[in-house]
Amino acid sequence: MTAETLLSLRGLTVRFRLPHGETVAVDGIDLDLAAGEVLGIVGESGSGKSQVLYSLMGLLAANGRAGGQALFEGVDLLSLSRRQLDTLRGQHISMIFQDPMTSLNPYRRVGDQIAEGLIVHEGLSRSAAQAEAVRMLDRVRIPDASNRARRFPHEFSGGMRQRVMIAMALLTRPKLLLADEPTTALDVTIQAQVLDLMAELARETGTAIILVTHDLGVVARLCGRVAVLYGGRVMEEAGAQALFSTPAHPYTRGLLDAMPRLEQALTPRLGTIPGTPRSGGGDVIGCPFAPRCTERIARCTTERPAFLERSHLGGTRSAACHLIPEVAE
Amino acid sequence: MLRFVGKRLWNGSLTLFALVTLTFFVMRLAPGGPFSRNRKISPEVQANIEAAFHLDEPIWQQFGRFVWGLLHLDLGPSTRFRDYSVGDIIASGLPYSLTIGAWAVLLAAFVGIALGIAGAMRRNGFTDYAAGTVGVIGIAIPIFVIGPVLQVIFAVKLQWLPVGSWNDGWRSLVLPVVVLALPNIAYISRLTRASMIETMRENYVRTAVAKGIGPTRTLMGHTLEGALIPVIAYLGPATAAIITGSILIETIFALPGIGRHFVDAALNRDYPLVMGITLLYGALLILFNIVTDLIRAWIDPRLRNAH
Ligand SMILES: Nc1ncnc2c1ncn2[C@@H]1O[C@H](COP(=O)(O)OP(=O)(O)OP(=O)(O)O)[C@@H](O)[C@H]1O
Ligand code: SF4
Ligand SMILES: [Mg+2]
Repeated sequence: MTAETLLSLRGLTVRFRLPHGETVAVDGIDLDLAAGEVLGIVGESGSGKSQVLYSLMGLLAANGRAGGQALFEGVDLLSLSRRQLDTLRGQHISMIFQDPMTSLNPYRRVGDQIAEGLIVHEGLSRSAAQAEAVRMLDRVRIPDASNRARRFPHEFSGGMRQRVMIAMALLTRPKLLLADEPTTALDVTIQAQVLDLMAELARETGTAIILVTHDLGVVARLCGRVAVLYGGRVMEEAGAQALFSTPAHPYTRGLLDAMPRLEQALTPRLGTIPGTPRSGGGDVIGCPFAPRCTERIARCTTERPAFLERSHLGGTRSAACHLIPEVAE
Repeated sequence: MLRFVGKRLWNGSLTLFALVTLTFFVMRLAPGGPFSRNRKISPEVQANIEAAFHLDEPIWQQFGRFVWGLLHLDLGPSTRFRDYSVGDIIASGLPYSLTIGAWAVLLAAFVGIALGIAGAMRRNGFTDYAAGTVGVIGIAIPIFVIGPVLQVIFAVKLQWLPVGSWNDGWRSLVLPVVVLALPNIAYISRLTRASMIETMRENYVRTAVAKGIGPTRTLMGHTLEGALIPVIAYLGPATAAIITGSILIETIFALPGIGRHFVDAALNRDYPLVMGITLLYGALLILFNIVTDLIRAWIDPRLRNAH
């Protein structure tokens, strides 16, 4: 953990109580994020991407519990009371959700909803906060912002609503923005535009981003580093360029092989790998990918491959696979 | 907004006219008239009576006369209480029913909503169980059991409140209002609780929580509006029903409201009185539905712009 480390996850777990037993959605994740950095998280549906973000924001469902540590500027988010967390979330940590159509309150004016955070966190007067909200709407390129601020969400298109969410999230100049598939629900033609806008504004405010996405093209364009999640664990983590050009983990390689060639598809998405993705379920003894892995060895089902620095093509790579040799100490 | 109100009022008037027509013809077509007794009366007397009440005219003329009267708020004479008009009878009973009903609605709405919110916020906590118990009691035990039980406790044993009648100022109101409110408290608290729990799962409430604005602001500014919409939809028609009198309450507590007149009138085939009370109830129902619609449109901007 270096001096400028903003967020540091250590053994982060998310478990859900069920009528019969328990399910493990996030199974011991270690990740670091530097101030201003953009980290991508990719993985199939059910791999635990959303739950990682929810656990940081205190948004887990009532039957869920987070374990391990999530140090934000040295403070463990998981140990905070709701009241203490409220001094951070919405101000220093913001979140943008997947579905812009339902994420705004249909009964309240858009400007009021944006301004609310400033009133609460920075003690601004209503009118001053409103003025800031209009300024921010203008920056996310909502035309005629001062009039638009007095409108209700149903009078906005999906893309405009997500830009409203971006305005709301970045208004307090947070240090960390958690974006959970922010454009998946939007029309393909405007996805890139909205994402670029988000990244551009975050750069201006020095905000670090964790970007959860299915879209490998987005990762390649926006993210400095990528973590690949499977079955609630990080399989591999590397700089985006390195991950795409020299994937080390069998699961990452599978994902990239299954990806349609760039020239064939406008927006390359995660392809499909044979077999059913693991999601939830109880504790796993070995490697969660073992049932689908074509390179499986005997050890894979009996011993958990640790997520650590391993040797790969003469360099090192953080990965969790028995086939990749550990770096000798 | 003005157009919205106008449209609702116009629709309401049409519904009311349909109701007037329907009540009138159902009454007239029902077998047996107010003066068909087993006791034989001479044909002349019969004819005189029918002429006095215009029962000898063609039915369309009777209907026209009835509607014309209604437009002047004249509901005609009662066939049973000869010297009183239907309007007089309703006017004498309505204030009692209205007073008790209005307090009962206020009490039920206030307590029911508060219990529902508290239960939803602390699910399975003490308040939740307490509210749940009140709910079961309020719904399962009928008024004619709870009423006398409370009379015995508070009037006979403790002597804090009168057993019945209307001679003791606000103290006469307490028991009837509470008993009338109880089943509604039960229903409203359950409705509010369920609706709150559903709304708390909405994505926009999650957004509010993520903004770190705190539980109170999240509840008042985000959860409550949406959660109250079904409660308001229930309260509108319920209010119309409650303030037009409850025969049970009025009998148990010996109150001179219109609920009892209605049953008397039905038993005695007092057509004009039955129609008068039915129309009053119908008109109030339509009115409160309009009010409900307006409140819902005031909360939900999507309803305002529709049409
Ligand atoms: N309240 C809950 N109770 C039990 N299990 C849950 C609950 N919420 C989520 N899960 C489980 O947690 C696992 C991870 O879910 P998560 O939402 O993080 O997936 P994801 O990677 O975000 O997928 P997607 O790409 O579909 O959004 C899933 O298997 C899901 O079934
Ligand atoms: S640990 Fe074994 S099963 Fe898991 S990815 Fe590596 S080779 Fe495949
Ligand atoms: Mg998700």
